[in-house]
Amino acid sequence: MKIVLDRPRCEGHGLCEEAAPQLMHLDDEGELVLDREEVGEADAALAHAAVRMCPVAALRVA
Amino acid sequence: MIGGSIDRVVVVGNGIAGLTAADTLREAGFDGELTVVGGEPHPAYSRPALSKALLLDSGDLSSHELPPAGHGGTQLLGVRATGLRLDRRLVILDDGTALPYDRVVLATGSRARRLSDLPEELTLRGLDDALSLRSRLAGRPPVVVVGGGPLGMEIASGCLAAGCRVTLVSQGVPLILQFGPYLAGVFVKAALDLGLTIVQTGSARIEQREGGARVVLDDGAVLEAETLVSAVGDVPDTEWLADTGLVARGAIHVDSCGLVRPDIAAVGDLAAFPTPYGRRRIPLWSSAIEQAKVAATALVRGEDAPPLRFQPYFWTEQFGLSLKAVGRLPLQGEPTYVDGGPGGGPALMRWSHEDGSGVAAALNYRIAIPRLRRMSRTAA
Repeated sequence: MKIVLDRPRCEGHGLCEEAAPQLMHLDDEGELVLDREEVGEADAALAHAAVRMCPVAALRVA
Repeated sequence: MIGGSIDRVVVVGNGIAGLTAADTLREAGFDGELTVVGGEPHPAYSRPALSKALLLDSGDLSSHELPPAGHGGTQLLGVRATGLRLDRRLVILDDGTALPYDRVVLATGSRARRLSDLPEELTLRGLDDALSLRSRLAGRPPVVVVGGGPLGMEIASGCLAAGCRVTLVSQGVPLILQFGPYLAGVFVKAALDLGLTIVQTGSARIEQREGGARVVLDDGAVLEAETLVSAVGDVPDTEWLADTGLVARGAIHVDSCGLVRPDIAAVGDLAAFPTPYGRRRIPLWSSAIEQAKVAATALVRGEDAPPLRFQPYFWTEQFGLSLKAVGRLPLQGEPTYVDGGPGGGPALMRWSHEDGSGVAAALNYRIAIPRLRRMSRTAA
């Protein structure tokens, strides 16, 4: 599966980073960086947890 | 396993707490029959967005939408639970259905507290409330908002941005109870600069007038407006549990794992859980999510599950300002500036409470929550 970021929606809360620091982080400017866009079955739960935390639905899994 | 095998779980409530609980049950290994009951006809949505982006006249009506549920359970939407039979382990629904469960998650949330039963008193709690207020604002009616907390101020901000003349009625200085004097001052100044009229009062009531409703203040002054919105707190939706003995002072008391009993969890706005400052309801987005994760895991794994360790995260957007704060509000005194300075411009600030705990707040400042959390723990 793939994590997709809708950048204009992202408000930089970073709750996703807190849920899945292995997959994404906010850089020094507060912009979200997806460290891994393609995630395997092993990290599916992590990806879903990160997506679920976002209060503005800027992330989804495809 | 406490209380026998787990074949059926019912989650009552489809807000972010119920949704997260349902997802987490699956992640914790529950592969049985899962049913989620939602009182609203809509799929789960982001409530914080309702009084922020959704109210603004940008044409974007999707800011509240969440990704579809991934738990694969049965979703019964537009259906309300009317009772819980503890002895027979049944959730009773308003259409007469009785859903059997081995474990149940209580997540019916809360509703807006009201000052009257008049239909002219609008509130903003659910998606339908927000859409209806948004469509009213298109006609740019004069608006009176009763309530000087974060929600009332967000609503006032949205109404101002829509081009309405807005009067906000507040018990004392707006936001001072929630934020403390420093941050309240920053927000009140921004609101006044944008043309908000603030009326401070000791108390306000809403009464009928010919063709509508009006606000009467403690000194007898009367405010009339075509559109009247109140934002004076929330009341947990626990009436359906009244005869269970589980309701205490309107809320459901849970342990540090979110459990009422081994077979019953309660999460989100209706749950009062232990905090370092006593048992509290903390009706915030990240609070609901963290509670739901912990409690759903505990329902499946029993006593092996880790307890809730929660540090509140709060954010608001209003009057051109955005605030993110980690730690316990309100705040006394002036902040220490980690970056920026006073005056309402971009700033990264820190406060220390008397008990040694810290709070970090970012005003118009993009910063990731994990960094803000670390900053809140670092002594200034």
